[in-house]
Amino acid sequence: MRRSDTFRFLVVLAVLVVLQFSVRSHLGGDRIAPDFLLLALLIWTIRAQPGTSAGVGFLVGLARDALTPASFGAGALAHTLVGYLSAWSKAVFFAENLFVNGCLFFAGTWFRNLVMALASGKMKGGLLGWELLVWSPLQSLTTAVAGVLVLWLFGRRLAIRLSDA
Amino acid sequence: MAIGADRYASRADTLVFLVCVLLSLAAMSLPQRLREPLAQALRQTVLAPFLALQQQTELLSASLQRYDAVAAQRDSAALVATFLPELRSENARLRGLLGLGPRLGSGYVPAEVLHQAEPTNALTFLVSAGRKQGVKPLSAVVSPQGLVGIVSSVDAQTSVVVTWAHPEFRASAMAADGSVYGIVAPHGSDGPRSWLLQLQGVAYRQFVPDGALILTSGLGGVLPRGIPIGTVVGGAGEAEGWERTYLVRPAVHPAAITHVMILTAPPSRGDLRSVFEPDGQTP
Repeated sequence: MRRSDTFRFLVVLAVLVVLQFSVRSHLGGDRIAPDFLLLALLIWTIRAQPGTSAGVGFLVGLARDALTPASFGAGALAHTLVGYLSAWSKAVFFAENLFVNGCLFFAGTWFRNLVMALASGKMKGGLLGWELLVWSPLQSLTTAVAGVLVLWLFGRRLAIRLSDA
Repeated sequence: MAIGADRYASRADTLVFLVCVLLSLAAMSLPQRLREPLAQALRQTVLAPFLALQQQTELLSASLQRYDAVAAQRDSAALVATFLPELRSENARLRGLLGLGPRLGSGYVPAEVLHQAEPTNALTFLVSAGRKQGVKPLSAVVSPQGLVGIVSSVDAQTSVVVTWAHPEFRASAMAADGSVYGIVAPHGSDGPRSWLLQLQGVAYRQFVPDGALILTSGLGGVLPRGIPIGTVVGGAGEAEGWERTYLVRPAVHPAAITHVMILTAPPSRGDLRSVFEPDGQTP
């Protein structure tokens, strides 16, 4: 990979991180607005090794745990699992096209929320059902749409190979 | 760059993954006294610029909204300027009649709520005021509608607020007329009533009618007396014929608020119920 590609890749990830802490709170409800930080992690996993992705996921999750101390450690676990599984599954199963990447973003967000809800131990019964069947799918959908937009706009410039399918 | 086909999880990848999982589990099992300093250190170092960015964005958003309001007020003011002396004297008369004064003159700090994306955001959240603004642990956090929660820990510029929805939240409460006392706690996370509170420990002989306003009682010295918690919506059960439990609809939903007031000093009047009266100006 060329150095300019790496630079563009990192700039896009940095922009996503900035979006998370700036405009995200103005994109609708807190539980349905796209999660740009998780999206940055998932885009990182497209190009990284599973081990590196797990490590980055752990650091991202730990930082997020500091912002919501109700479930300290649960975020680190969830993001580690998402990072590793995303990178591994990209290597083994997935083709490179926008729809498949969108599905990966959707599944990654929903799975992150599932692990966090279960690992935190603070959501049970009906509350857990609403979270997993209503709010999480909505957030996963908005995150997937945002991810597809990012890849559609910048994918080829980031040396992420996308087929026309 | 070719992606995918030539990349698999090596032993090193698996090892890193397992180490991260173990570290995550270790973080989850940390006791509270170690957990909070670690989170605090992260907030004050790595996350500080991002929290500052979020705070500035919230301020900018609030400023834009205020600009629209100010523009509308300016237009209205220009329209009624010819009647200003009459309006001023009428206003003075009304103020005199109502005895309207500064209801919460001092002893509070305004703060923006820094919402996060996690599902547990409604249980604890960060606010943009901390030790430098005079916030202390166990300070009451309120909105114009009523009680939001209490401050659990304080950083230099931010604080962590535990809302009433947190499973460990408890508040000493009373009916508005002071006839019934009890403890308010979250109703639980199961079933359709998951975002309700419950008033526990009410003596069996005492009834609380539906619609009764529940306030903080001030007992215990943590929360000031007279902050609205919610209204009774029905009975939740009886315990062996010696106490009753009532369901309470909270006055405030944590996910719906953007700004809060943190009470930093005991109220001068001792009872805050007049501050939250619905027909008056609230903080």
